[in-house]
Amino acid sequence: MLSKKRMYWVVAIVIAVATILSGCAGAKGGGKVLRVNLGTEPPTLDPALATDTTSVQCDEVLFLGLTDFDDKTVEVIPELATEWSVSPDGLVWTFKMRKDVEWVHYDPVKKKVEKKGKVTAHDIVYGVRRTVDPATASDYAYVDYIIKNAEAINTGKNTDLNSLGVRAVDDYTVEFTLEQPAGYFPGIAGMWVNRPQPRQPIEQFGDKWTEPGNIWTNGPYMLETWEHESKMVFVKNPYYVNAKNVDIDRVEAVMVVEESTAFAMYENGELDVVGVPSTEMERVKSDPVLSKELYIAPYLCTYYYGFNVSKPPMDNVKLRLALSYAIDRQKLVDTVLKGGQRPAKTFACPGIFGSPADDPNFVGVSYDPAKAKQLLAESGYTGTPEITLMFNTSEGHQRIAEFIQRGWKETLGIDVKLANQEWKVYLQTVNTDAPQIYRLGWCADYPDENNWVLENFHPTKGSNNPKWSPDDPAAQRFMKAVEDAAAASDPKERARLYFEAEKILVEEQAIIAPIYYYTRVVVTKPYVQRTYAPLGGEHWDKWKITK
Amino acid sequence: MTRYIIRRILSMIPVLIFISLVTFALAHAVPGGPFDREKPLPAEIKANLNRYYGLDQPLWKQYTDWIGLTRNPSGEYAGVLQFKFGPSYSSRSRTVNDIFRAHLPVSAQLGFWALCIAVGMGVPLGIIAALKQNSFWDYFSMAIAIFGVSVPNIVLGPIFILIFALTLGWFPVAGWGTPAQMVMPAFALGLNSSALIARLTRASMLQVIREDYIRTARAKGLAERVVIIRHALKNAFIPVATILGPMFAALLTGTFVVEQIFAIPGMGKYFITSITNRDYPVVMGTTLLYAVFLVIANLIVDITYAYLDPRIHYE
Repeated sequence: MLSKKRMYWVVAIVIAVATILSGCAGAKGGGKVLRVNLGTEPPTLDPALATDTTSVQCDEVLFLGLTDFDDKTVEVIPELATEWSVSPDGLVWTFKMRKDVEWVHYDPVKKKVEKKGKVTAHDIVYGVRRTVDPATASDYAYVDYIIKNAEAINTGKNTDLNSLGVRAVDDYTVEFTLEQPAGYFPGIAGMWVNRPQPRQPIEQFGDKWTEPGNIWTNGPYMLETWEHESKMVFVKNPYYVNAKNVDIDRVEAVMVVEESTAFAMYENGELDVVGVPSTEMERVKSDPVLSKELYIAPYLCTYYYGFNVSKPPMDNVKLRLALSYAIDRQKLVDTVLKGGQRPAKTFACPGIFGSPADDPNFVGVSYDPAKAKQLLAESGYTGTPEITLMFNTSEGHQRIAEFIQRGWKETLGIDVKLANQEWKVYLQTVNTDAPQIYRLGWCADYPDENNWVLENFHPTKGSNNPKWSPDDPAAQRFMKAVEDAAAASDPKERARLYFEAEKILVEEQAIIAPIYYYTRVVVTKPYVQRTYAPLGGEHWDKWKITK
Repeated sequence: MTRYIIRRILSMIPVLIFISLVTFALAHAVPGGPFDREKPLPAEIKANLNRYYGLDQPLWKQYTDWIGLTRNPSGEYAGVLQFKFGPSYSSRSRTVNDIFRAHLPVSAQLGFWALCIAVGMGVPLGIIAALKQNSFWDYFSMAIAIFGVSVPNIVLGPIFILIFALTLGWFPVAGWGTPAQMVMPAFALGLNSSALIARLTRASMLQVIREDYIRTARAKGLAERVVIIRHALKNAFIPVATILGPMFAALLTGTFVVEQIFAIPGMGKYFITSITNRDYPVVMGTTLLYAVFLVIANLIVDITYAYLDPRIHYE
């Protein structure tokens, strides 16, 4: 009896001691510390495999790319590259690289940084090849299909990795050969999938090369800690080319999924920056302190409803237009969303190269009940066949759908049925056999219209969820415009063609009804001077702490 | 007794095989796959991914690979029999084993403290309520119990944060690692169970203290304390022990809501997100883990019966 009792005590004491000990580990380092919330565990830190905003955020501070995007203008700016040029036929792009960027390895136990040699053109070639290699199984390899032979290699039709259109002319010059001219290529060249990758740790550690202690990096920060699902710690890279201008020594990033918990941590002084949950919006706006810390930043995403034009009655263009004109986008933002979003009149949002969203000459669609009624009368639609609007199961999408459903009923007298499906089931439905009206959002992978209109709605080259027939004369005009724009190198000409494409897509054919452009609502403590990255991937190295 | 335990452990095997088969079939029967994205991946990229993870194999082969009876596409026996639970599709650098290793101890620690709170509060509250039936103490205990049963921890968690972190400043809002960070989640998790235990203890105690053998014990002149603790409680504990089994399994393998609210890196979220992500190996791993815990907990409960009630024998 006694021995049993004693055993219980031993177990209880062991657990208690373990609990207390685990709390003692991890003393804080000195210097300036920024505390942020990543929101979730990054699925990977491997630049070849990243697809989501959290992974991209981490890669942004760990790995430099040939190019980067300016936070203010969203223009392509040099990063690893110092300059670039394109051959007269638009097919060969040559990037000259800076010669002073070091690979570093950080030992989190000994807290020691070690240089591992210069970042060269060979690391870029290795990185691009690894992304395209089918053995890597990279989700985002398709953004490189513009590079010569990339598609053939990635799909296994060509097994010679050396035939890929990327080569090191010398140690600091890298040359890309493309399948066809692409004016937007400098943006692609700097994307995470095309960043230099360190061959040695990748070959040594396999899938575990991104763990702290294994990883080599070259960006402003190094990875010190990665407690999965809990937190990551990034420390300043002393050998970073611009290290003297990096103010923050240490970024402690927690992974709090629950928005309201993260917000409470901010209010309690445990975080320096946080997103504002929509339920707290009213309070933040009226609070004398919080309202000063609030910032509504644009975010390069658009929320839209697509029409499956192969399914009656959505094959009726007048009806599609009527529905699009009958959406009161401003009222939706003011009464339902409340996050300072902007009503959308184009598919691509402002800030995307080629988007006519801010062009006063572009009409697009906006709320116009009279015009909607007139178009409905012209369409001859009398209520049959019935229309179903589908979205993925979520309270937010439900509220938006109900608002728009009510608007259509009041303005047009049309009863639209609502349906929803769980996310993955929904994706399969939309991608194979989209319902008459479906909800989706799109965020920029790179800020160019090509990533929007061509990749989504080109009837043969894009995902074409609306099932737009390539034989339709309007579709043919659209196809010509987006194909010509992709191949053109003159920015003015490209912008003109995208203006045309958006006009066909939204204003003339109403293949989709754009609803709103996303915003990101954040509060930041007054002692943090910061930038806002509209593409995601914040530049913490450019932030400052003044306290 | 030993033979009984061995027999019970052996009978777990078909149960677990059945559970894994049903889970496997259900997971794969649900439409949508792990690589369905907002922008559909080109067919070839999807094929690359499927090949990488062996999802291009016939279903039965995927199952036997997972069990470890057949060689997987890379030519190895790497399945449950070899204690390898497979990769995670949504966390590329980690395997299911890594996930268990990192998150199970966290959930188990939190679950252990929650269970201590549940039993430590629930049993005394139940006893007091039963002994002082229809008195202030009874109503007081049962008021606490009803509060605990009816307020779900999705409400309790934020209330705790509001009161103890934001207003009083006693504890940090969320996170994991220090003892101070464990207090609120352990109470949020344990309170609900303690309420259940309190109500059950009270009911069964009320029944037991009216039994003849209690009157006999009192007639023998035993101290009231001894009568209650050694004679009455031991018997009254049987129904409580019965629910402690599943409660133990549920608390120790992680709880989604509390872990989410307090940002605790536990197992709980994997039960949910693996399903929404169609992360098949994680779905299989978490289900099997929970099943093993449940089966073992129930076995322990059955063994405890023999100790609590001498009339129960196992052959």
